[in-house]
Amino acid sequence: MPSNDHYVIIGNGPAGNHAADVLRKNDPDARITLLSNESMLFYYKHKLPALIKGTIGDTELSVKGARDYKEKNIRLRLGQEVERIDPRENRIYLKHMEIMSYTKLLIASGASPRVLPLVSNFAKHLKLFSSFTDALNQIGDIRNGRRYLVLGGDLVSFKFVRMLKSMGKEVDCLLYPDAFWPFTLTKDMAEAVNKSLTKDGIRVLSNDGLKSMNQTCEGIDVVTDNGYTATFDSVYAFLGMVPNISFALGSGIDTDRGILVNDHLKTNFNNVYAAGDCAQIYNPDIKSYWLSVGWKNAAVQGAVAAENLLGAGYVITPSPKSILSVEGFTVDTSWWENFD
Amino acid sequence: MNVTERYKKNLMVSNEDGMTKAMESVKTIVYSTDPRDMGLVRKSIPCQNACPAKTNIPGYIRCIHEGRYGRSYELNRMANILPGVLGRICSKPCELFCRHGESDLGKSVSICSLKRSAADLKSPLHRIMEGLYSPSGKTVAVVGAGPAGLGAAHELSVLGHRVVLFEAFDKPGGMLMYGIPEFRLPRDVLMLEVENILRLGVVLKTGVRVGRDISLDELLSEFEAVVITTGCPVPNRLNVPGEDLENVYPGLEFMERVNRGEKPYVGKTVMVIGDGFTAMDCARSALRLGATEVKINIRKTEEYMPIDDLEKHEVKFEKIRFYSLVDTQRILGENGRVTGIEFLRTKLEYSPSPPYRTASVMPDSEFIVPADSVIVAIGQRPEPSGVSASIEADGSRIRTVKDRFSTNIKGVFAAGDCMSGASNVISAISRGRNCALDVDEYLTGRKRKIQVVRLESVPSTDRDRSYDFIPRTPMDTLDFDQRVKPGNPEVEKGYTAEQAADESKRCYLCSLVYTIDTSRCIYCSACIDVAPRDCIKMAEDVPVMEDGSLSAVTETKKWNRVAAIAIDNERCIRCGKCYEVCPMNCIHVTKTELIELNIED
Repeated sequence: MPSNDHYVIIGNGPAGNHAADVLRKNDPDARITLLSNESMLFYYKHKLPALIKGTIGDTELSVKGARDYKEKNIRLRLGQEVERIDPRENRIYLKHMEIMSYTKLLIASGASPRVLPLVSNFAKHLKLFSSFTDALNQIGDIRNGRRYLVLGGDLVSFKFVRMLKSMGKEVDCLLYPDAFWPFTLTKDMAEAVNKSLTKDGIRVLSNDGLKSMNQTCEGIDVVTDNGYTATFDSVYAFLGMVPNISFALGSGIDTDRGILVNDHLKTNFNNVYAAGDCAQIYNPDIKSYWLSVGWKNAAVQGAVAAENLLGAGYVITPSPKSILSVEGFTVDTSWWENFD
Repeated sequence: MNVTERYKKNLMVSNEDGMTKAMESVKTIVYSTDPRDMGLVRKSIPCQNACPAKTNIPGYIRCIHEGRYGRSYELNRMANILPGVLGRICSKPCELFCRHGESDLGKSVSICSLKRSAADLKSPLHRIMEGLYSPSGKTVAVVGAGPAGLGAAHELSVLGHRVVLFEAFDKPGGMLMYGIPEFRLPRDVLMLEVENILRLGVVLKTGVRVGRDISLDELLSEFEAVVITTGCPVPNRLNVPGEDLENVYPGLEFMERVNRGEKPYVGKTVMVIGDGFTAMDCARSALRLGATEVKINIRKTEEYMPIDDLEKHEVKFEKIRFYSLVDTQRILGENGRVTGIEFLRTKLEYSPSPPYRTASVMPDSEFIVPADSVIVAIGQRPEPSGVSASIEADGSRIRTVKDRFSTNIKGVFAAGDCMSGASNVISAISRGRNCALDVDEYLTGRKRKIQVVRLESVPSTDRDRSYDFIPRTPMDTLDFDQRVKPGNPEVEKGYTAEQAADESKRCYLCSLVYTIDTSRCIYCSACIDVAPRDCIKMAEDVPVMEDGSLSAVTETKKWNRVAAIAIDNERCIRCGKCYEVCPMNCIHVTKTELIELNIED
């Protein structure tokens, strides 16, 4: 008997795409719609620095092509921004004033760079970098510029600093150990980062903060709390990620930092699930709420959420800890990282 | 043109009806108490309807747009006698309902900031306007000089009664003086507006606690009426072990001490329990007392906090963290002093009453965080017996006659938080004022003021559609290092004249109501074609509600059932496009204002 379900997935990242594949495999007749606010096909985010450097092209960035969705009869709608959800009426309101109905919904909207209140006074001068669109917008500036300031508040910031350095740019890195994400950067770790970056010719500003920023015809004049002054072509902020859940606020779906879900990844509505970087789950082992980070977690959660939308009842469990090696120090982390 | 010529010109015959311009202007202003017009105001002007004091918000924003700051301030003052104060600390219920904030229309107008801008930008020699009544010879005692007491005292004085205001503390203002920190409300701003009330002849007696220094019976023997506005002085308790340790402060007591200039010990790590404005004030004050790590712990999530996003932003900007989904189990201590708190994690669950979510604790989820001090700011309640044991109460609130302010004792009235429970400043002011009208009726035996709808035909909105796309103007604030320094400087800087002008343009002016004259409409649907949203409807019927007001139109898609083309003023954003394209000039714009009239004029 053909399924009458219309599965709508918000988000075209690893969680959304893995969920779509699982749903199609198990429910061949259902309508599946995948919404993305980006205009690019599903792509590898970690390859964006290589795109900027010019070592790969657009096609090598894609995980899969449009043909794949067509073959699986998955309706991929790019450039479609969700404005709000009405879970009581099973409706999604899109920015372009279209109303879409669903029978089952998966929120896999990922996360975006956050601008912490401590730098919000300078927000208009800060550039954020996390998507293909960001890369396209900034590729020219990065290739043509000479000197950059990077606000180092997460792991990606170090990779970005390395990328700039490998392109022959002059790079300063202002470390934010207190606001580091997704784990606290201890004094020892900060010292290791300082040593590792300094060794390769990157100026690291420690125990310092932004005092003023002014745009001039030469670039952005920056003055720090400790009195360091310099002019940069651009200032990039990497201060962690914040779940993309604004469209769910006030909808009746429980939210905190992310979308609140139980260990089946179900929200407080029976037909609405969430997975990936936007899902916030209680972990009894550590007696705390956690948000996952990373591609692999998102993919697993997307698949589990899809199975549960189909009625499986799988429980998501915290994975064993893994060890990351970062800029001269190692850190025990896990799939489940403390967002606070 | 001199005055005489202008007068003659106004008398010139102006239209085919043979009406003079003067006559026409009389004709086009109508005062109405028709329930349909009252209902129209409620539905068409959501900000004003949401304001407990029913402030004429579109009116005062329009004045700012025209650079008439003094007039704007006075329009505010007609409903709210503390515009400069409320422009800084109002809980802004109006902004939640601003039409500009509807999901497809952007962000609400920054109404509160505009209110402040009128107070800031008006002339320092501004003329205060009062519609004073003749002296009545009656005397009234008002107990408590907080927002409700000040509201009542002002209105009673305007109505000609002699008022004595009794205040237990050293200074007037109540929670405004002792509950709100100076970095949010500078005391010169507060005292200036309090002085504007006192100068009407109100006698202020501070340091007098009614119920201790003077009894209610003594007041009743001296005054013809007594108004009790003692607020909510009793803090709610957590009722957990450790709450009586030395460094655990009730939020209200903590703020009172800070505002008296004391420096209660907070240590380096401060845990604040609570999610309201007082909790935020306590956290930010603790930071200014030298704390380096301040956390605000809440049982539910940020979404359900009863404060606005701007306040949350300011708190976070000062590096104060919110910890959601936690419930205090006990406060830990050594040698009588706080060392930490044990929490349980909570989860959200269904609740049958708004906002339909409650927090329940999760078993075996306990954890401990260290702390040097704890501030418990989880609300407060009235203390009716503090004034007199003979006043009847509903729980902790003074009981009053339904929809009125009289208590069980003849000549004794109650207003503000002591009769309503903890609310907000604008509600307290409004209740104080309305209570004064009740007292006036009791003293004079008749109503002297009435609310009516003033309807005035206006030529057009003269709004530009481009105004709708102006982003909300943020208010500049001090940098962090400038905030945490002696003197508690005010954090928000206020709008400049240019910023106020930009923000005022954003107001849709919802008091301008658009209607279609069905006797002239030719059903061409040109207006429907240009409407930016579904604000013009084909109407089959307009049902009448129980209270006599009109309901939303019953729409139809069938032309043979269309009784009229109607403008839905709850959806209309007053862009004026329909008015411009109508080939029959059958769309009328009516300025619709809720005003107070003197019945005996």
